[in-house]
Amino acid sequence: MMYKIVHRTTYKYKYPVSVGNHVACLKPRNLPNHQLAQSQLHIFPTPVTRSERVDFYGNTLCFFTIQEPHKELVVEAQSQVRLAGPAPQASENMIPWEEAARSLPSDHSPAGLEAFQFGFESPRIRVRPEFAAYARLSFTPRRPMPEALRDLTTRIFKDFHFDAKVTNVRTPPEEVFKKRRGVCQDFAHVQIACLRSLNLAARYVSGYLRTYPPPGKPRLIGADASHAWVSAYCPGSGWLDVDPTNNVVPSDGHVTLAWGRDYSDVSPLRGLVLGGGAHTLKVGVDMEPVEA
Amino acid sequence: MTVDLDQTPLRYGGAYDELSADGVTPRAHWAHLIESFRAIGPEELGRRWNRAERRIRENGITYNIYSDPLGANRPWKIDVVPFLIPSDEWRFIEAGIVQRAQLLSLVLEDLYGPQRLIAEGHFPAALLYANPAFLRPLVGVRVPAHSYLQMLAVDLARSPDGKWWVLADRTQAPSGSGYALENRTIVSDVLPDLFRTSNVLRLAPFFRAQREALTSLSQKDNPRIVLLTPGPHNETYFEHSYIARYLGFTLVEGADLTVRDRCVYLKTVDGLEQIDVILRRVDDSFCDPLELRSESLLGVPGLVDAIVAGNVQVANALGSGVIETAAVMPFLPGLSRHLLGENLKLPSVATWWCGQSYALDWVLNNLDTVVVKPAFPSRGIEPVFGAEIPAAEKRKFADQMRARPYEYVAQEQVTLSTAPVWEHGHLDARSVVLRAYVLNTGSGWIAIPGGLVRVAESEEAADGAGKGPVVSMQRGGHSKDAWVLWDSPVDTFSMLRPRGEPIDLSRVERAVPSSVADNVFWLGRYVERAENIARLARTMISRIRRADKAELGCLLRLHGCLESRYSKLPKARGKRLNAIALEKELVSLLIDPKRPDSLVSTLGEVSRVGGNVRERLSADMTFLIGKLRDSVQIESRTQFLEYPAILTNCLELLSAFSGMERENINRGSGWLFMSLGRRLERAIFLARQLREVTTPLAEEDWPLLECLLEVADSSMAYRTRYYTTLQPLALLNVLMVDQKNPRSLDFQLSHLEELYEKLPRHAREDVKAMREALELLRAIDLCKLSYPLPGASVESIAASGTSGLARLEKFLRELEILLPSWSNNLSSRYFSHARTLPITIGQ
Repeated sequence: MMYKIVHRTTYKYKYPVSVGNHVACLKPRNLPNHQLAQSQLHIFPTPVTRSERVDFYGNTLCFFTIQEPHKELVVEAQSQVRLAGPAPQASENMIPWEEAARSLPSDHSPAGLEAFQFGFESPRIRVRPEFAAYARLSFTPRRPMPEALRDLTTRIFKDFHFDAKVTNVRTPPEEVFKKRRGVCQDFAHVQIACLRSLNLAARYVSGYLRTYPPPGKPRLIGADASHAWVSAYCPGSGWLDVDPTNNVVPSDGHVTLAWGRDYSDVSPLRGLVLGGGAHTLKVGVDMEPVEA
Repeated sequence: MTVDLDQTPLRYGGAYDELSADGVTPRAHWAHLIESFRAIGPEELGRRWNRAERRIRENGITYNIYSDPLGANRPWKIDVVPFLIPSDEWRFIEAGIVQRAQLLSLVLEDLYGPQRLIAEGHFPAALLYANPAFLRPLVGVRVPAHSYLQMLAVDLARSPDGKWWVLADRTQAPSGSGYALENRTIVSDVLPDLFRTSNVLRLAPFFRAQREALTSLSQKDNPRIVLLTPGPHNETYFEHSYIARYLGFTLVEGADLTVRDRCVYLKTVDGLEQIDVILRRVDDSFCDPLELRSESLLGVPGLVDAIVAGNVQVANALGSGVIETAAVMPFLPGLSRHLLGENLKLPSVATWWCGQSYALDWVLNNLDTVVVKPAFPSRGIEPVFGAEIPAAEKRKFADQMRARPYEYVAQEQVTLSTAPVWEHGHLDARSVVLRAYVLNTGSGWIAIPGGLVRVAESEEAADGAGKGPVVSMQRGGHSKDAWVLWDSPVDTFSMLRPRGEPIDLSRVERAVPSSVADNVFWLGRYVERAENIARLARTMISRIRRADKAELGCLLRLHGCLESRYSKLPKARGKRLNAIALEKELVSLLIDPKRPDSLVSTLGEVSRVGGNVRERLSADMTFLIGKLRDSVQIESRTQFLEYPAILTNCLELLSAFSGMERENINRGSGWLFMSLGRRLERAIFLARQLREVTTPLAEEDWPLLECLLEVADSSMAYRTRYYTTLQPLALLNVLMVDQKNPRSLDFQLSHLEELYEKLPRHAREDVKAMREALELLRAIDLCKLSYPLPGASVESIAASGTSGLARLEKFLRELEILLPSWSNNLSSRYFSHARTLPITIGQ
């Protein structure tokens, strides 16, 4: 399946911005079963400098600086990604989750070390006893890791309500956990906090999700949003993605942009501007299947 | 924030005494000092020390204490007795700290490079990954190897058996070397003979090497180097400005720099100027809000990207804080054998990183003998003495540690050695910690000979059972100079310029940073403002007690020239004011620190903005600013009639300042901004005063004229011209249109125009505005004016040309609007971008 994605971010400022330094994390990753066919980043006004850099996690970042006074910034990422469909289902990994946690610190293989670093606190995610207690209802003694992970995903899906009004991009997972409400970013943070509280490695995945219009209605262009989910490390199987917002295991409807320890590592577009004053932000995402 | 020179919780008991083994006879290397102290005698030493302390205060040597409202700019406390280190002992310490620096530098190179130490198990992965000081954006970035630990500070203590131990490593922005230098200057001044005869290793070669090492970080021949400071609120800001001046670097804050085209630029009054090397005193994660901590306003957005692009070098390299944690210490002996092939020469104090299960078990079993500290101090966990945890809470504490063991380190409690301090006329013993410094020059390592000795506040409860005092500058400790007594001739090179050398605001012929121009401009304005307030108040105070009703009215009008919003006088216009109310108002105007327009507050501002550009002012000027700040310390029992003398003293200091400004400062842009500030302030004040005269004065109100002349210090100018009694028009002639009187309005406006035109990138319309104002002023022909008495009939006013007076009043009013707006234009043209802080979007 080939998808064409247009992700448009618009900042409107009350006063002119004289200089803006920005970094965008908007180029989908190239992975097995997930090929990046095309990717372009359009920026208005045109930056005087832009440069690409691959970050510590392998994500592609685009740095750009705008030096002309502007009251509006538009960043539009256009990409095409080919998803090869669900990976062939190997026989279910039966490793007990305690084993998965215990083996991490001593695994000095590149993959093991790479995974291990996602087991610690990160800028937005603290390890707390309440997260561990919640997670333990799914992570019962000797339960196979993939099964326990899916169960936790399902419980978060059921226990938490999707509500775009109660949280913002800076809401800490502790608050989301208390309110049991939030958006995909919040649920991903909570699930990661739960997993790390059990000394398991989990990372934050930023990307897109294909949505389906209500029956009989046309697909609304730009009505989609950027999405976020969770990936947990399971020795023997590698990284397992789960989407607590939709209670699914991502397959051919999820496009991966980037991953990191939490949102702060992979926020799609951030920056520092001089001037500007108050600002408004509008984000539109359009993800459309195309004939390959 | 840089929590540096910070607490090192330690215990005492059975300490090693530096001075004497038996408590009676001094050790050999102390004998000369003790003899010399005896020869000087306590009285003379006390006298010399008083002088030194005054100098510390006047030179503005300070150390800021966080969380203490009175603590800001606390004078630096130092002890007169140097800490003595014999040559053989120093050779041992030097070898130990140089080896340590070599080792830590190699570790950093690997952690930010191939990470072989992790893959091969020499450095625990968890210690890296759990550490918030590990800056992932810097991994794999090529920087000069000698920038990782361009400077390392090591805190050393001596245990009761006489051995030296490392308590802590400061790897990202080590502080204190500047204080060490200042301590040396002060102590060697107080004890010149002892210093000369002790053959002490000099500090200057170290700093010369530091400058060369920083220069060599860049490929350019003459790189532009700045010292990046968190700003005047930082605890060690004094040192930042001191080092910047000593090494000849520009002192900047994050907002002074900007990244364009992946290069770092300094915002100057001439425009942007590229920066090649940054010596930073801002902590790692605060250096770039774009890629590191987004909430930080201390850094420079895009700095990391400029580093990645190889366009700027930073010392110490960003990310070097990752090995500052004590949790690294247990691994150093093994790393030393692995990386250097030799044993660690200087041991670290016994440390357990609980991220290793056997270490955690040991710590939990021996909790009473250790101090438990956060492995990563930024998490805000306080150090805890295991023995002090109540039995009932021990279990909970252990559970906390087990949940995230890698967040904790435990350290043995060290009994510090004691060294003599001079207090209340005799020598006393106090616990000390030596902070030593090592520099990577790129071609070798050198240690500062000596360092900064920190002294515990008091020896109370130092019995080893209770919680001992803590060696901490944050908690009010002293410091000492450290002398390495050498056994062969020493290099006596000094980088300090002798006192009295001409002041040099733009030391190097380079553009003045916008923020400096801003501060210097306001320094000029505040100094002039202080002078105006002091002159006005002195004039009033000397008259108020003998003033009759009419004179009191004059004084009130004079007071009105201040246009104070904070005046304590009753607001009602018609109300008769008595002398007592006015006296009260004057006292408040002078000494009320809560009034922004009081003399004390204004002098406070002089000291503040002066402090912001301290590294650009001469020692004498800084000294003068310090004296000014203290010049109106008025106690409750001070008599009102003593005030004129106090004000005269203050005015003398102010005129000394003006003298230096005129005679001792280079006429660069820095000076231009200071003079502009001064002229502008004086013009505004003059315009208000002159307007008082344009309202017709009754003859009985003419004493006001005398006051105005006195305030403007122009009585002589008047008398040499008129010999006669005071006349309003004659006064206007002297204070308004006399082109030769430096206190006339004409003089201010023509100088403003002239000075402003010399500025780079000046605005034509602002030159024009000032020229037009001057032309209008010169078009006023006082000879054609006649000065009526109040109450004169309309006809007689028209006949006598009083409409000219009304025009004059209008002109002055317009000038009072023009001048501040002209000042604003100047600000936004030259300073504003230095003041704007970026805002974060998208996080």
